[in-house]
Formats: sequence, structure tokens, C-alpha cells
Amino acid sequence: MSNTAPSQAKAESDQPQQQQKPQVLEEDDEFEDFPVEDWPQEEAEQASGAANGGNEHLWEESWDDDDAAEDFSKQLKEELKKVEASS
Amino acid sequence: MSFLPDEFRTAYSNRSGPNLAALLTPIATPNDPDRLRSFHNFSNADYVKEDLGACLFKNKKPRVSHAEKNAWVDIFAAYWEAVGELLELDIPNLGVTPVTIFVAWKKVANALIRGYSASSGLPAWTLPCLYSVGKYLRIFAINADLHVASQESSALDFQEDVAADSEKNANLEEAARVINRMFTLAPIEESRKWGIYNTTNLLFKTYFKINSVGLTKNLIRAINAQSDDLPPLEAFPKSHIVTFKYYLGVIHFLDENYAEAEEHLTSAWRLCNRHAVKNQELILTYLIPCHLVTTHTLPSERLLSPFPRLERLFRPLSNCIRKGDLVGFDKAMSAGEEEFVKRRIYLPLERGRDIALRNLCRKVFVAGGFEEPKDGQAPVRRTRVPVAEFVAALRIGTHALGRVDTDVVECHLTNLIYKGLMKGYIARERGIVVLSKKNDAFPGTGV
Amino acid sequence: MNSSIPPWRATASAPSEMTTPVLPNTALTPAYIPVQARRSLAHPTQHHNTATQPAPTGYGYAQPPPPPPPTAAPESRSRTGFTPAVRRYVQRCFAPENQVSSVDSKEMQEKLRSVITAAAEDNRMHLIDWDRMILPQVMIQNERNKILANPDVSNWGSSGQFSTTTDASRKRKSTNVDKTDLPPWRQANQGNRTEDRSTYPSTEKRARMTTDDSSKSKANLEMRKKRFEGTVNSTTPTTPTTPAEPQPAIGPVIGRCETLEKNYFRLTAPPNPDTKWKQQGNYTYICDQFKSLRQDLVVQHIENDFTVNVYELHARIALEKGDLGEYNQCQTRLRRLYAQKLGGHPTEFKAYRILYFIYTRNWTAINDTLAEITAEDKKNAAVSHALEVRSALAMGNYHRFFQLYLDTPNMGAYLMDMFVDRERLSALAAMCKAYKLGLELRFITEELGFESDEQAARFILGNCPVEALEEKNGSVRLVTEKAANSIERGKAEAFRVVDIKGQI
Repeated sequence: MSNTAPSQAKAESDQPQQQQKPQVLEEDDEFEDFPVEDWPQEEAEQASGAANGGNEHLWEESWDDDDAAEDFSKQLKEELKKVEASS
Repeated sequence: MSFLPDEFRTAYSNRSGPNLAALLTPIATPNDPDRLRSFHNFSNADYVKEDLGACLFKNKKPRVSHAEKNAWVDIFAAYWEAVGELLELDIPNLGVTPVTIFVAWKKVANALIRGYSASSGLPAWTLPCLYSVGKYLRIFAINADLHVASQESSALDFQEDVAADSEKNANLEEAARVINRMFTLAPIEESRKWGIYNTTNLLFKTYFKINSVGLTKNLIRAINAQSDDLPPLEAFPKSHIVTFKYYLGVIHFLDENYAEAEEHLTSAWRLCNRHAVKNQELILTYLIPCHLVTTHTLPSERLLSPFPRLERLFRPLSNCIRKGDLVGFDKAMSAGEEEFVKRRIYLPLERGRDIALRNLCRKVFVAGGFEEPKDGQAPVRRTRVPVAEFVAALRIGTHALGRVDTDVVECHLTNLIYKGLMKGYIARERGIVVLSKKNDAFPGTGV
Repeated sequence: MNSSIPPWRATASAPSEMTTPVLPNTALTPAYIPVQARRSLAHPTQHHNTATQPAPTGYGYAQPPPPPPPTAAPESRSRTGFTPAVRRYVQRCFAPENQVSSVDSKEMQEKLRSVITAAAEDNRMHLIDWDRMILPQVMIQNERNKILANPDVSNWGSSGQFSTTTDASRKRKSTNVDKTDLPPWRQANQGNRTEDRSTYPSTEKRARMTTDDSSKSKANLEMRKKRFEGTVNSTTPTTPTTPAEPQPAIGPVIGRCETLEKNYFRLTAPPNPDTKWKQQGNYTYICDQFKSLRQDLVVQHIENDFTVNVYELHARIALEKGDLGEYNQCQTRLRRLYAQKLGGHPTEFKAYRILYFIYTRNWTAINDTLAEITAEDKKNAAVSHALEVRSALAMGNYHRFFQLYLDTPNMGAYLMDMFVDRERLSALAAMCKAYKLGLELRFITEELGFESDEQAARFILGNCPVEALEEKNGSVRLVTEKAANSIERGKAEAFRVVDIKGQI
């Protein structure tokens, strides 16, 4: 299964042989059992203290800022001529 | 010589649920690689109950009620039988198949369920056994179904009636019913409640696997109904919560409740163990489309870089959205279609096209520049934009060679306005779009 | 209960009398005592036993044996050469003057083959007076009539095949051949259906409401016309003329289907409400018949091309009647049957499936269906149409959506009709906000696939106060600001969860 959860992988490979058929256990969209039941906050993705801080760098606005506005403006004007010509 | 009876007594006297549960697993351990074989050699079919009764409770320790003693003997006798099947799987002509193994393991599960029923009353701290046995029940059921399917495909020519959908998962469905009985058992008394999310998660997984996501609704309803009696979610082990939140998020996601989905997935993401890369990746697979739909935000490089698969899945789309490149967007959608559809994220990602379109229109607006400045006042952008300019932009954005129908463009603009992505109105007879002058023609984007 | 002539008999002898009274259920019960049907269907491989016979190809169920099976005399297998009498019979079958317009030659030939095969299998080749034997095309017609006329034949057909010529010719008159000869849209025009479907445009009215007859509305008309034509063509393969059903055993089904086919065309114009089974009583009857047949098939585990046919036919009828609960049951079962590759029309129904899930707004199912669709499926016009419908709606692209609506293959339009008004409200809601200065009605008519300004106006007024429309400079306009709230409410109402009986 995952190569990043060693103890998990081990547990599975120790299972009786028919368990090693790949079809199911390698199915990649199944949420895996965690190797340990619980972990301290420091090991969580968002470690304590960073409450909201960490999140801001993870998501970005969805538009481009306009460094290429000039180019587009020119392109638009040309296209506009074509549109007018064709109609 | 099997260590199992001694280990049982130790686990019991320490009241260690996990250690007890470890005994009821169908696997060997590194320090006792011959565990299953030696336990099986410990007795034979005629005497196993007697022997178990004598060894598990040697010298009347641990001291338990008669009913509880019988329950453990039944459980381990069923386990002993299942182990026998497991050991014989590879020996030809004994009739042992993944299906018979599943059946044998189901007996273990049922013996355990009987043990938790009121009369025998296994103590609550032993509850991890239930989860562990349920977990393997599910795995054995999946293997049994695979085995049945492989038998059928080789005999296909003679079969008039190929197994229907439901039959394909017959064993797993049976497993789901057994696990469901565990679920109804779990919340009986205060401390047993600690098993509730674990068992629910197991059922979630099972229902997803048999393609019956609809059945999860009943579970969620049941949990909500008793939520007042449950300890707060934070009090549970993180593995329980993260898994639960993940599935809850995905269930809402599939119902297109993206806001709720985002909430659950975000908490799953935050609590997830940072070494569990695979699970993190799964959480993000759904969280990223949620963000696109709810807040129109895109994953940053920093977010994607540890996950090459996600990078490949989402990077091209994100770039096209940002640039307002509709053709590129459509291409990226069809390039990823198979995987998007398989992971059930196609529909929300598709909505990214609106954002790409918004960005394209926003460029038109920005390119329009400013009105003639009026004495000393701050410059105002040109807010009356001819529809023809949007038509031209769409020709650029779609690399269209031929005519782009004005009505189609107006239809797109109408949608942007209705969805609040663009502020203004279309004056159709005059062929212009009148955009807001209050610096919010494209809300939230700074213009 | 049997004291008088049952109403369906009465209609049989009086073919011009179209109004059949609603049948009480008790009168129907004899119609589906399926004993014989079971016998004939339960042995799907029977004809393989008669290995020496020229087993007709293309269908997997057997001739029903004649009631007391005559002892099979092996010497009578001299079948390589037909007797002159049989040859004359075959010639008669193909004679141009004997062709019947409502039975195509493929159907006829299948039937012919089954008649001869059956006779041979029963060792009756020499017992039959071939010169007086009725022609297969007539048999087919008879069977079609019977289902409309007489539910008692629902022993599914072992009778009737060798019925007498006189009987046949009498029955023949009772068919509505004359009607089926008409192009479907003509037939349909005889009807008067619900108002909203009527193809009025009284030119006078139209002239008043329309300022210009733009090229676009002509294009729309053209599309509508194409829609009918498309329907004609695309439904041809779905009619029961497939080689799969030459059997007397399913004769009644063929008969129904004939009726059904005629009604495929309701989009050109309203279907004729006089067509018997369209009436509630008769639909109930047909539906019951199909359900009982389906039940037999399920109980007996019969899964073959015939089964597929039954479900497809029932699904189409249910679609046309707007009985989506029943339709969905058929669709669910069909999906399993198609998985077994038993023939039928999987892509046609795949397209319906998509449209159905769009209607019920079942995203999970849409997702699943998208995942199932293969590149091959996408080449199919109906499937790609349905997929485009989905994506147009997802994008809010009403412009494209209504173009697609006007150009729907097969019977998909029945499904689209179920949600087209909902989508009109949705589009109007967006328009009200985006065109806040108002909008010409003409534009709405064109964008939202209405047949005329009047239909558009009626739709708007059905949802808005009357002041939402105003006349200005000779054209009618939607006062969007006055309409917006009502439209928004109407939309919310229309988008409430669709609840369909029988949906799983």
C-alpha cells in the first residue's frame, strides 16, 4: 500500500497469503488505517499555535495580476477588428 | 506451545483492550512468527472448548462471571477454527477458499457480538476486539468476493446469468450487515461510546466499497441523534476523528454540499498525521475542488509540492483558470477526465470554468483602461464595455476561428452576473455591458 | 363477469369507435393468467433439441409446442426440398400486391421463417393447406390487433398463428392501417393535446407579437422540423422490427409497439388522444400486462434478448406516459441486462439514463454514469447529446441547452420535457438580474426554446404578475425588475427535490 506508513504496510504484508493479492489492498482511493491511534498536536498537519496562520499560504487567489495587461489589450484590439470585419 | 492463553490473561489483568484485540488477529507477529500454527496445534476440534476453558482461565484467573467465561471460550474457539482454515488455505483439495475463510471469520465476529449482548456482558474496555475483528471481516469479505468473481469469469461461457452488481459484493454486503450489528452494539453504555467512530468508519469504508454511499446517511443520522450523549469529538483519538471527518466530508461532497464538505475536510486536514501522506493526499483531492467552488481559491505551490500526483492533477487546471484560458481549461479537463470522474471530482472542477471566464472578462475590463480624468478626481475605470469586446475576448479565450455568437457571450455574461462574479448589467439594445463603478465590477478581485 | 361482451371485444368489432371505457380491474384478470406463457417462455433453448430443423437465427426462445405434442416422427425431416405448395406460399408472401405497409419485409420474412420452422418441427408440413394458409404479414397484423382488441390472447401467442383466413381478414379490417400510412406528424395532428403543446401560431397573433421574423426563429423552426425527422430516423432501429422478435409468443408486444412507434412523434404535434392505449384505463392495462410479463421473466430467471425487449418496450411506453417510477424500474433492470450483452439498445438507454438523472438531480448517479461511459459510447449521437445537455446545464449555458432541447434524439425529449420548464425558470432568473433594463419577449422566445412568443408570454404570466409584460413600440417586453422575484420563487419551487415513485 503506502510506502509512507511503514508499520501499516508491514501489518498487511504479514497477513496470510491470500491477502497479498493486490487488487483490493492497493486500491488507491481508500482511506488508510493510521499506524497509530492517536498522536500529539505537534504531529498533526497543522501544528498547534499556527491556528489559522498556516492556512494562508496554502490557498491563492484565482486571478492573475495584470502584468501582461498591455499585451492582452493589444490582442483584444486586433481581435475586435476581426469581429467587426466579420459581422 | 502457544503463548496465547498467557497473553490473554496478561492483557486481561492489565485491562488492555488493544493487547487483547491483537490476540484476535489473523496474522503472525514478528516476535512470534509461528503464532497461528502453534495456537492451532494447541488443541483439536473435539477438545478445543474444554482446553480453552482450562487455559484461558487457569487457576480461575482472570475472575469473570460464568457467562463471560463462556463468551470468551466461544470467541476463541471460533478464532481457533478460523485459524485452522487460514493455515490450510494453500493446501490443495481441502476445500478451503477465501469464501470459507470469510465464513469462519464471520463466526468469530458473531461470537464477539453475542459476547457484548446484555446477558454475557463483556466489559467495555475490551471493545477494541470488536473493531479489530470487524476490520479483518471486511478484508476477508473483499477477498472472498474477488475469489468468487475470478471463479465466475473462468466459467463465464457456461453462465447464462452473469453475477449482477449486488452479487458481485455478496460477501462484503454480508460483512456490512455484521459490522452494522456491531455499530448498534457500540453505544450501549458510557465507555463503549468510545468505539462509535471507529465502528462507523469501518462501515463508511465498507459502504463506499460496495458502492452504497446512500447507506451512510442512516449512520450519520444515528450518530447525530445521540450526539448529546457522546463525548466531544476532540476527546476521541485523532485517528478516529480524522477518518470520520474525511468520510463525512466526502459524503457531503458527493451531495454537492461543498461548504459543509469543506468544513469537515478542513478539520480532517488539520488533524491528520503529517506522516500519513497517502491520507493527506486523499483529503486534499476533495478539499481542493471544494475551495474552488466555495471561495474560488486555488491551491498554492506550497500546498501541492509534497504531492506529485495532486500537482499533476490540479496544476494545469489552476494555471488555466488563473489566466482565463478557456481552451486550456477545456483541454486540461478532458486530459484529466478519466481520473476526475473516477475520483468524483469532475463536477466541481468543471465549475472552475466560470472562474476562468470571469478572469477573461476581468482582463477585458482592465484593458479598457480609465475614463478621461475629470478635474482632479481619482481616475475611474471605463465601466461601459461594448459586448463586442467580450465577444472578441472569447474568441481569444477559445481560440475560435469562426464566428462567436453574441447570444452565447451574453449568456455567459448573464451567468457571471447572476452568480455574483461580475457586477453590472447588460443593456442589450445598446450592445453594452454597464459595470459597477464602485470598484467592485469583479467582486473580490480588486477591480 | 362474463355475462356480456367485454368492452375490449366491443372495440375490436367497431374499430372506428375509439373511446374505450375504463376497464374495471376484475374484467382484466383473465388477461394475465400466464400459465401458457410460462410454458412457452420457460424453455428458452427448446429449439436446439430439434437439431435437425433449420433453426431460425436471431432469437433465443422457442416455438411454443402445440398443446399435445405429436410424436416426433423422424422420417419427416425431408426438409431440404420444400413441397411445391410451400414454395407457392413463399411466393405469395413476397408478391408485391400482398405487401402490407405497416409490416416491413424483414419482419415478414422472420415471421415466414418461424411459420415454416414451426410447421416442420411439429411435422405438420404436409397437414397444412399452404394455398389457404394466411400470409405472415397478415399474421403479424392480427397479432397486433389482438392485443388492442382482446386481452385474452395474452397467453402470448400459441393461438393465432394458424388461425383461419376469414378470421384474419376480418381482423385486418379492424387495424388502423389507414392511419399508420399517414406520416406520423399528420396522425398526431388529428389530436388535441394539452394547451401548452399546441402548435398554434395563428399568424395574426404572431404578427402582432413579433416585430421581425428573424433568421434565428427560422433556424429554430428548421431545428424543430429536424427534430421530427431525426425522430423518425433514429427510432426506426428501436422499433420491434429487429430479428429478435418474430415470435408469436411476443406478438402482442409487437402490436403494442406499433402503437408506441406511432406515438414517438408527439413532439411534432400532440399525439392523438384517441389512440386507445393512451387513455388512462388502457395505459393501466398495458402497464399491468408488462409488469406481469416482467414478473414472469424474473420469477423464471429468463434473461435473454426477449427480456431486454420487454423492458425496453415498457420503458419507452412509461416514458411516453410520463410514468417515471415504472420507467426507472425498467431502466435499473435494463442496466443489468445490458451488462450481460443480451442485445437491445444500450446506448439509447444510456442516454435516457443520463437525462433521467439530470431530471432527478441525482449527482451521485450522474457521477457514476459518467464513470461508466466509454469512448465508444461517446461516439453515439444520443449519448453525446445527453452529455452535452448535462454540461450545458452545469455551466448555466441556457443558450446551448435549448438548442440541444430542440434537437433531441429518440425519446429523450420526453425526459427533457420533464425539466425544461424548470430550466427556463432558472435561465429567466439569471436574465432578470443581468438585463435589468428589460428584455424583448422575442429574445426570450428564441433563447429559451419556446415555440412562439405567445407560448413564452403564457409561460411568463404563469409565473409572474401581469405587469411583468408590457408593450412598447410595437413589441412585447419583459419588465425584468417586476418579474425577478416571482421568477426566483418559481425557480425555487421547481427545483425542490424531485420525488419519484419507484425510484431506488
